[in-house]
Amino acid sequence: MTTATTRRPSRWMPSTPVASTMRFLLFLAYGIPIVWILTTSLKQPGDVLSRDAAFFFEPTLDAYVAALSNGGLLDAALQSLTIASATTVLTLVLAVPAAYFLARVQGGWSTALLTGLIVLQIMPQTSMVIPLFQVFGEWRILDQTIAVILADTALLTPFAVLLLRPFFRSVPETLEEAASIDGASTWRTFRSILVPLISNGLATTATLIFLISWGEFLYAVNFFLSPGNYPLSALLAQQVSAYGINWPGLMALAVITSIPILVLFSFTYRFLKEGLTLGAVK
Amino acid sequence: MSTRALSTTATGRTSRRGRAARWPYILPAAIFLAVLSAYPLVQLVRMSVSAVSSRTLRDPWEFTGLDNLMRGIESGDTGAALLRTLIFVTIVFTVGMIGGLAAALALRGRRGSSGFLLALMVFVWALPPVVNGSVWKFLLGDAGLFNELARTVGLTDTAIPFLYDQHLSLISVALVNSWAVVPFNALVFRAALMGIPPEVIEAAKLDGASAWQEIVHILVPSVRATAVVLSVLTVVYAFRSFDFIYVMTYGGPGTSTVTLPFLAYLQAFVRYDFGLGAATSIVAGALVIVLAIAYARNVRKEEAA
Repeated sequence: MTTATTRRPSRWMPSTPVASTMRFLLFLAYGIPIVWILTTSLKQPGDVLSRDAAFFFEPTLDAYVAALSNGGLLDAALQSLTIASATTVLTLVLAVPAAYFLARVQGGWSTALLTGLIVLQIMPQTSMVIPLFQVFGEWRILDQTIAVILADTALLTPFAVLLLRPFFRSVPETLEEAASIDGASTWRTFRSILVPLISNGLATTATLIFLISWGEFLYAVNFFLSPGNYPLSALLAQQVSAYGINWPGLMALAVITSIPILVLFSFTYRFLKEGLTLGAVK
Repeated sequence: MSTRALSTTATGRTSRRGRAARWPYILPAAIFLAVLSAYPLVQLVRMSVSAVSSRTLRDPWEFTGLDNLMRGIESGDTGAALLRTLIFVTIVFTVGMIGGLAAALALRGRRGSSGFLLALMVFVWALPPVVNGSVWKFLLGDAGLFNELARTVGLTDTAIPFLYDQHLSLISVALVNSWAVVPFNALVFRAALMGIPPEVIEAAKLDGASAWQEIVHILVPSVRATAVVLSVLTVVYAFRSFDFIYVMTYGGPGTSTVTLPFLAYLQAFVRYDFGLGAATSIVAGALVIVLAIAYARNVRKEEAA
């Protein structure tokens, strides 16, 4: 007993020099980019290219002031919020029941549908943007926010179904049988028993849909015909591919784009850590 | 209602009626995807065998058969992009898998720095690719951190053209893509490692296994099933990837970072040749699907043997 408890830490905390070095390297690889975004956003454009100012410089909020005084930024942030929230709600409304169906019904059509979803999940987004541009043109909804929301939902529904299905599968079917013996309808069982039971999977999926649609820019850049309607991610994509980049301004925009992600992440990391693993492996 | 319950329990499986009651659950998603994914895919196939430019996008399209496909192949663009895609996927797969496993092994701890480090990595993974791509474009630039370090150490006088050299740029973008996938792979590998019963590891320790032997003979073999799933996910991720390319090089310099999915995009939205772009898309889509199926089959065969 005593040996087991004293041994445990050595097992859970690999303290070999190799492991420590690895942790140090990972810390550099993932910490430095974050630190660099922050410090660059606090520099003057002139300091960015100066070697002397690489580490020691006078921090300034100029880049943020400039970014925030541009009225377009608020519009872009609202646009991001609209797209990400609408996509999250719409995708969940479609994907949660679909995942339940595909978890419970096997064979025949169900297998075919599942295969179809995997194919859609694999298709490159750059392939889908081509016909969607034509289809949205036909429907005359180009340059409208709804086009991006519909495209994002189509992109993320297969992903959400495949992520949610294992959560439904882990709920024993006998539970539903018991509920139906008690007289609950299928819908009622689904709504008030099954969905609450997979709340972990739901939180994970909702977070990921929000994150991905918040960062999505290919559909936004192509379906909005003028940058005036761009969400933050598209604005960032447009500015980073321009010539003569204003790095402090760009990094300030990157920080502003990332703050909502940080807030969401700090609330959902607990679920994400577990949920991602289950969804990915099963 | 009691008859339904009885029939369900009697067969031990879902009854016909139970199944019928479940069909409405799939319908909304099925209809939505039929209109917004299946119909566009049909249009994509139609476009790939027609002459479609931005001007004729709204008109009836002229059928040209395999003309688009042949034009793409004969110009050499398709083949060159395919080769770049293979290099790109190989780098992301190798670095992403080995890096993910190594990170998981180093982050097995539940407390202290490991927990914080894992959270940091998953946070970076969760950031929009356009944010991560922007930072790396900056870090790898002429006045970026890597060139500053190289100059300070005296490795080079002139800036290393990480993103401007025609050979180096593809490798740079592939490495940044690998960096972006490592946190996810590490998270999944770590969960698999933590699932190994402690007795197994303790037994090995009692037998005098070194840390290295423990990794090679116990930890790595026990995460094989996880590695199989992650391999497919990583290959597909790498193949589909376009966001880091878009942000960091936009396919350049010249065409040196144009992979197959990105070529399709450029053909349609920069050259406005939608037919050509659609044909390349079909090739890219077919390839990634065949790749995924072949890989999954191979692995299953290997596991059965």
